[in-house]
Amino acid sequence: MSRRIATLAVLALLCAVPLVVRDDYYLHLFIVSGIFVVAVLGLDLIVGYVGQLSLAHAAFFAMGAYTSALLFVRLQWSMWLGLPAAALGVGFAAFVLGGVILRTRGHRFIIITVVFAELMKLVATNWVDMTRGFMGLPGLALPKLSLPGLGSLDITAKSHFYYVVLLAAIVAFLLCRALVRSSIGRKFVLVRENEPLAESLGISAFRYAMIAFVAGAALAGAAGSLYAHYVGFVSPDLFNFSYVTIMLIMVILGGKGTLVGPALGAVLFTFLPELLREASHWRMITFATILIVATLFMPKGIVYPLVAYLVPRRWRLSDAHAA
Amino acid sequence: MSASLTILAQHLLNGVLIGCAYALIAMGLTMIFGVMNIANFAHGEFYMLGGFVAFYLVSLMGLNYFAALPVAVAAVVALAIILQHAIFRRLREAPMMTTTLVTIGLSIFLEHVALLLWGPQPQSIPTPFPTKPLSFFGVYTTPLYLFCMAVTAALIVVGHVVIRRTRMGKAMRATFQNKEASALVGIRIDRIYAYAFAFGAALAAAAGAVLGGFIPVEPATGGIVTLKAFIVVILGGMGSFVGAIVGGLMLGLAEALGAGYMPTGWKDAIGFFAVILVLLFRPEGLFRRV
Repeated sequence: MSRRIATLAVLALLCAVPLVVRDDYYLHLFIVSGIFVVAVLGLDLIVGYVGQLSLAHAAFFAMGAYTSALLFVRLQWSMWLGLPAAALGVGFAAFVLGGVILRTRGHRFIIITVVFAELMKLVATNWVDMTRGFMGLPGLALPKLSLPGLGSLDITAKSHFYYVVLLAAIVAFLLCRALVRSSIGRKFVLVRENEPLAESLGISAFRYAMIAFVAGAALAGAAGSLYAHYVGFVSPDLFNFSYVTIMLIMVILGGKGTLVGPALGAVLFTFLPELLREASHWRMITFATILIVATLFMPKGIVYPLVAYLVPRRWRLSDAHAA
Repeated sequence: MSASLTILAQHLLNGVLIGCAYALIAMGLTMIFGVMNIANFAHGEFYMLGGFVAFYLVSLMGLNYFAALPVAVAAVVALAIILQHAIFRRLREAPMMTTTLVTIGLSIFLEHVALLLWGPQPQSIPTPFPTKPLSFFGVYTTPLYLFCMAVTAALIVVGHVVIRRTRMGKAMRATFQNKEASALVGIRIDRIYAYAFAFGAALAAAAGAVLGGFIPVEPATGGIVTLKAFIVVILGGMGSFVGAIVGGLMLGLAEALGAGYMPTGWKDAIGFFAVILVLLFRPEGLFRRV
């Protein structure tokens, strides 16, 4: 009972954000962190649950953004069509890529994911006829939300679009939770913890790594689509390596292999860099130091252990524990 | 020689220097990978730092160019020894995810420290060589280019001899093949780790210092260099020195031809496609482990 009340209280707080936060800039940060939650939950599936380090995740995000942007600019598809198309398209790309590279897990896998990300950046930069290269694709708009019988709702205001992103984040969270709590999710963890044992039980590590990889990429694609329509502009800069680093920091410091941790990590590490905005070089140096120290000395992350310590168990939004 | 042949020869010559540099960097990377089982994402930063330290010594402190090169390499090796003691020593038995994330963090750290120290502008190391081009049968080159090519080629030979002919190289190769057995016959594994790391850093820094007179260095160079070196290592077979040398030269030549004959901007894609093809059809690399 108290758990249900706690869940409702958290939801009410999240819904109240645009009513309390009147400053456009902070609202912007809330929206961006919501988009990151969607992407980072996807990264956590492959990194946290299956235990394969993918450095292609920011590229999947950017590919989703480009898919949605191209469909909008060339075919006038609105975000309602563009978002599922981006998720499906990027998921399919991950399926093809995974078919090639998931058979060689380990160092080669990690390196090829970077190579893939760079290749996609080259395509976005050099296929000028399609992507306009460095100039990027401007002019994306947010769609109208037309409800049958109720007329149409304008979601272009930040305070309205916030709810779209919040809904997306909640749906992504529930989907991931359903996935990791299912028998598939238990096999993810088994593959991570003991691959030979999994194989000896007839559980194909390749197949389960593939499921996580594709599902994670689809979430990144959907997040990319939200981002493209929200910002209204995509460019090859989206493929920069710094994005994947930030997403990894969100997952690692949030607590990989949990869902609440990386989700809170996404919010925390969207707001934190903005506080360090004054010194941009020092910001990346600080980030890198945090990444090194956290990886070496805090393998469970910071956010999730903190939550586990502070919030009584019976209040907690039940979270699938990492085995 | 016909005009098209001359152009081909020009492109190939342009590729040799880059190829030698790739080979040098990849040799160290493959050594660190083989001995320490670490995919060092910070390896390209040693190249970048080698170039920047040499630039600093020559242009800002007025040191003689030929003296600056070894001093720059020594400085980067000193840094590598510190890093090995502070960080890499702890990664010995760590899982792959940990080692990779730490080296990625280190790479970002070093890149942004360089950005803070030297700014984002690409810098060329001033050299004492005359800039007048030399022509052989219509193929143009410069004295600087020939010097760089000679030095990198000589360093490849030196690296190869160290690995193949010295006691240290033998101990490294033994550790490479079987850590426990090497420890049993009295090889100090922790020392081999330190030497392998310093050796790899030295080769990359030397490549950076030498090429810095020819290709401007900037803080962001390190990431690209790391990626190219990884491509070479996968092409040649992870842990193969011959593969690193041949793979480096091949990638350098292929990119030079690509730059000459393909639309601009796509040259870097050659290595990426090559890696994916190799992975599909010959995942152990073109050369087996040596």
